[in-house]
Amino acid sequence: MAKQSGEVVCELKHVDKVYEGAVPTPALLDINLQVRRGEFLVVLGASGSGKTTLLNVMGLLDTPTSGQVWLAGRNAADLSEEQRAALRSRYMGFVFQFHYLLPEFTVLENALLPCNIVGKQMVSANRERVKELLERVGLGDRLKYRPSQLSGGQQQRVAIVRALANNPELVLADEPTGNLDSKNGFAVFEMMRFMNRQTGTAFVVVTHDERLAQEADRVVVLEDGRIVKDEVQRPAMTHEL
Amino acid sequence: MIDRFSLSVAIRHLLFYKGQTLLTMGVVAVSVTLIIFLGALIGGLQKRLISSVTGAIPHVVIRQPERQPVAAWEVAAATDGTLYLGERVKLQQQKRKIEDWQIWEGRLPSYSENIRAVSPVVEGQAFVNRNEKRKAVSVVGMFPEKHNAVVDIQSKLVRGRFFGLNGGEAVIGFKLAEEFGLGLGDKIRVVSADGNVANYTVAGIFDTGFSVVDSSTVFVPLRDAQSLFGVGNAVTTIGLKLKRIFEAKDLAQQIALQVPYETRSWMEDNQQLLSGLRAQSQSSNLILVFTTIAAGFGIASIMITSVVTRLREIGILKAVGATNRQILQIFAIEGTLLAFFGAVAGAIQGIALSLILYSIRTQVSETGRTAEVFPFDLTPDLVIRAVVIAVLVGLAASWYPAWRAARVNAIEVIRGV
Repeated sequence: MAKQSGEVVCELKHVDKVYEGAVPTPALLDINLQVRRGEFLVVLGASGSGKTTLLNVMGLLDTPTSGQVWLAGRNAADLSEEQRAALRSRYMGFVFQFHYLLPEFTVLENALLPCNIVGKQMVSANRERVKELLERVGLGDRLKYRPSQLSGGQQQRVAIVRALANNPELVLADEPTGNLDSKNGFAVFEMMRFMNRQTGTAFVVVTHDERLAQEADRVVVLEDGRIVKDEVQRPAMTHEL
Repeated sequence: MIDRFSLSVAIRHLLFYKGQTLLTMGVVAVSVTLIIFLGALIGGLQKRLISSVTGAIPHVVIRQPERQPVAAWEVAAATDGTLYLGERVKLQQQKRKIEDWQIWEGRLPSYSENIRAVSPVVEGQAFVNRNEKRKAVSVVGMFPEKHNAVVDIQSKLVRGRFFGLNGGEAVIGFKLAEEFGLGLGDKIRVVSADGNVANYTVAGIFDTGFSVVDSSTVFVPLRDAQSLFGVGNAVTTIGLKLKRIFEAKDLAQQIALQVPYETRSWMEDNQQLLSGLRAQSQSSNLILVFTTIAAGFGIASIMITSVVTRLREIGILKAVGATNRQILQIFAIEGTLLAFFGAVAGAIQGIALSLILYSIRTQVSETGRTAEVFPFDLTPDLVIRAVVIAVLVGLAASWYPAWRAARVNAIEVIRGV
């Protein structure tokens, strides 16, 4: 079911992230960012600009040194480790540069992994929808294949469906096309865009490929841990799935 | 509560990586096989050793305490200056006997459920004479049916009978029979130390495997021994067979308080054997402990390798919402399942190996009697204990790898690639 666009699904308020070490390394500096439902946001930046850190902080995989992260109307700092895990599994989806599919599970089982973590009911509630998503990405006839029987592009498509399995509000993708050739990379990007429009799920995609940024609703550019550009290219759209 | 997701990931992983699963199970199986094999063998050897000592004797013997004559000047009253006159006489050897044995025979079984059998016995030294040949023997007068529950003769018979022994009949060991060239129906002449003479017909010949018994013990009916040794209606000892033989010493002490006689257990007469057995038990326990630890390290090292090779998998599971508890359970379940199925396989191997070796028998006597080469004492208790220990060790050994897996930082492992 499509979601109503406009509502804030994730907000960062004055977020700093400094990696402690012999020489403290600032990765994010005073980041203020709101991600709205249905939005397709691309984060651009050179290597070391803090893109991945930003994504990890948004995804509760990393904690900010200072500032606040708000998700689902709650301040992440108030959540226990278990609650953060629960929020990750129900509210968010992740896509990484490498697909990280479990080799011992089939395509369908891998896609349903986030549902399985939550419980049996979640699996039965989403099984048909996940099958449909897999069909939409051209893997309808490979549901029982193992990841090793798929190409790199196909594996990444499974990873994207997995990120959408729990019908999340927000999908965080870290260089999802980085490991693919340009043709396959573009196809995977297009697919995410398509899913965004179909499901109304907000996407935050980190990439260094400026060509892909042209397809986004909004582009944020990071430089040395700061947002130096935040531009809305077109309003977010949603369609019925 | 076992998490369904953790269980499914653990099982799927074990089935997918069959080689690794079989290898780990093999480590556990070998250890459990060794525990069962060694435990059964050592237990069997100890049982054989104990039975070689206690098989031919009662576990507890009740007898009249020896009466020591007291010199006149040792009597307390003699110290007051009174002069006592006495006559030096040659006393006949005092017979140590129990007159009221029938009362105690009836009462003793109620003193402890550990008492399996009671046998009143008249025992004395005598000579067997036949055709100029003479040999010192121990004559045991008893009720065959009762005595057999204390010292098994009936099943050790080579020829003839033991139960239903009539007056004037004797049952002798095969070595004694060979030495005197005796067969069933032959007569022997027995002379007691007091010079009483009795003639017996050989009614049975046995082979117990106990050299002393087979070469110099003559079993006769109780009444015959009573008249041979001149004890009237009394017996010389009451023998007890116990269910738990290592409680013999305590039971003997307990009975000593309840009967007006002295008691003695087999344990007091075999202190050296007992300390030897204890040392053997301790060393066998040590072997079992080290075997178990080796199995534990085997599981732990394979599980740690498994955690290291699956770091990315763990990272992604955590990133998509798996809790630390779920990750911990995946590895704990895997370790426990590996240990359980490895232990079951090891138990089957251990039982099979023990039974196969147990079936190998060798002839131990010229009468054709055979015995096991490997005397295994395979008990369900031993097998269950080995499996339970292996499962607990498996769980313990997988705890550290599981804990490490649960603490994996998703970001570090994902970024680390």
